[in-house]
Amino acid sequence: MTRAFTPYILILPSFLLAAAIVLWPVEEIVSLATHDVNRFGMLRDFVGLANFRSLLADPDFWTSLWRTLIWTAGVVLGTLIVSMPIALILNEDFYGRGLARILIMLPWAVSLAMTAVVWRWALNGESGMLNSALRDLGLMDHNIQWLAQASTAFPMQILIGVLVSIPFTVTIFLGGLSSVPDDLYDAAAIEGAGRWDQFRLITFPLLRPFINIAFVLNTIYVFNSFPIIWATTQGGPANSTDILVTYLYKLGFRVGRLGDAAAVSLIMFAILLAFTILYVRLAMREEAAA
Amino acid sequence: MLRLGDRAETRRRRKHFHGSETMKALKKALLVAGACLLSASAAEAGTVRVTIAEYSKGTGPYFEDAAKAFEAANPGTKIQIEVVPWDNLQQKLTTDIAAGANADLSIIGTRWLLDYVSQGVVAPLDSYVTPDFKARFIPTFLTPSIMNGHVYGLPIAASARAMYYNNDIFKKAGYDSAPATWADFKTAAEKIKATGGGVFPFGMQGKEIETDVYFYYAMWSYGGDIVKDGKSGLDSQAAIEAAKLYKSFIDGGLTEPGVTSYNREDVQNLFKQGKVATVITAPFLSGQIKKEAPNLNYAVAPIPAGPTGDQGTYGVTDSIVLFANSKVKDEAWKFLDFLFTTDQRTKFDKVEGFLPVNAEEAKNPIFADDRDLKVFASLLPKARFAPVIPGWEDIAQTTTNALQKIYLGQGQIEPTLKEAAAKIDETLSKK
Repeated sequence: MTRAFTPYILILPSFLLAAAIVLWPVEEIVSLATHDVNRFGMLRDFVGLANFRSLLADPDFWTSLWRTLIWTAGVVLGTLIVSMPIALILNEDFYGRGLARILIMLPWAVSLAMTAVVWRWALNGESGMLNSALRDLGLMDHNIQWLAQASTAFPMQILIGVLVSIPFTVTIFLGGLSSVPDDLYDAAAIEGAGRWDQFRLITFPLLRPFINIAFVLNTIYVFNSFPIIWATTQGGPANSTDILVTYLYKLGFRVGRLGDAAAVSLIMFAILLAFTILYVRLAMREEAAA
Repeated sequence: MLRLGDRAETRRRRKHFHGSETMKALKKALLVAGACLLSASAAEAGTVRVTIAEYSKGTGPYFEDAAKAFEAANPGTKIQIEVVPWDNLQQKLTTDIAAGANADLSIIGTRWLLDYVSQGVVAPLDSYVTPDFKARFIPTFLTPSIMNGHVYGLPIAASARAMYYNNDIFKKAGYDSAPATWADFKTAAEKIKATGGGVFPFGMQGKEIETDVYFYYAMWSYGGDIVKDGKSGLDSQAAIEAAKLYKSFIDGGLTEPGVTSYNREDVQNLFKQGKVATVITAPFLSGQIKKEAPNLNYAVAPIPAGPTGDQGTYGVTDSIVLFANSKVKDEAWKFLDFLFTTDQRTKFDKVEGFLPVNAEEAKNPIFADDRDLKVFASLLPKARFAPVIPGWEDIAQTTTNALQKIYLGQGQIEPTLKEAAAKIDETLSKK
């Protein structure tokens, strides 16, 4: 009897802490989402799912949702693809490696909002650094207004997203690479495996858990990432670069529809939760099979 | 509409919902900590907390000085100033009010005031406002803060809009003064474009705050209204003509390219750099030019008139309001009284480059003899203020989105404006 209770008593403090910082806000948001709420957060009548219905009827919600998926997939996959060779190079022993590692990590020390503001200046059509650099290199003869339309603004935003996610991802990969024992490579070399085979058959399989972690964590960060898009275009022009977070912010704090905004954040929470559970399940099944 | 008497009812419902006082206290503590660490210290008796929007680097220091001067004259009352960037003001107030942790006084955009009044968040000032006090103001600026016959706020900042033009560029194209009508302006713009030199004749804003207002300048010149008889004026003939005009400027290469990537500051910067020949904006640009581009040869003129001679400028005030839940209303009022003395107003408007709201202050040569401010002041009789309607920000966003589609060529003018007008009508009909 005591034995059965002990574990629960032991996890009770951390459960209470988790409840206070996770479950309680969720409960608050649920109550906002299911009530008629004025712009100052005062609850009026219970309206059930009406806020969700008005949301689902809004075409901007659907385009933002779709764009969020493109944004997340673009940034996360782009980051993983770019970070892998960087991590492999930084794992080699070469002169100045320490400096190279610091240079790759430095952007991490700058706040995301600041980076985004700098990029906003760099992308300015008339006085931006990017245009003048491209012109000086002779790559083009007229200025491109990068942020004037979604067709150029959104790819640039994804690019910025990739750049700022690299340091974190490279760090994870470097940690993974340092755990691969060197004698595996020595043995493989003796057996006649080339560098590509070594990567394909040794490095990549052993890095799998680290790639998994980088994938899940990046997805969660990027899906919710606000500063890059907000600082460069505020989701404009005409909502054409909105993702769910920027859409939510406008809905809540510009238009003052806090109930709808709470509904959006619940939907985002549900998507991320479902994604995480699904992914952890798959990863665990794979590990069990391996 | 929620009247003041209903507030007890609201409070009861909130309390009912949150279950217990502990929960409420916890919620308050957490929300306040999240919203702003500064406001965490609970208001003690005799402390007046004031939320201030940061208009410029000078705003905070001015109010700190004013608070010190006031405290020296009124021992026992403490003034606590919280400076918030203008862009975050709406968000901070929303969170603070929701948590019941708002200050006693706050600056708000007068265009938001109706929402605050209808929710019973702000207190009427009628019992404090004596006829003498009222007489201090230029009536044009006090009127927008009066609703249903009650004074709900005092105009802390006032501004209007006019066209800044670059004398050198216009002279090169053969003009000694600014064109008086949009038709003349367009001819002048063609000539400026022909003189070359990479200068864009019309600096047009197409992004972020007041993109809608930038369009209203032309719409008003064509005789249009933002809201008429409770309906949006965005599908009126005037709006369509104005949109066609702006679109012809864009398509003719008479604006800077990619207008949808330029917000107000960006266009002002282009003007300071001499890259655009004109920009329509507020008096504070004069101060910025004085500091950042002192050699720029510019002048200020009224916004061009439309074919029928109609002409519009946008008059804007921000109000300072007293919250209904303040426990130090009398002390707060004393501070307001102090802020609106001629002396204090002169200091503040000099720092910020705003228009005088105080009749006595307007006679001061600093304002009365200023070359640029004179033009702004002369436009005031024709100034249009934001209409008193709920959901102003919602409407601004719908309008901006429609305009951006038109500017980008992603939407035909008439159907895009009609669709936006229908959406605005829906917003207007709610509550």
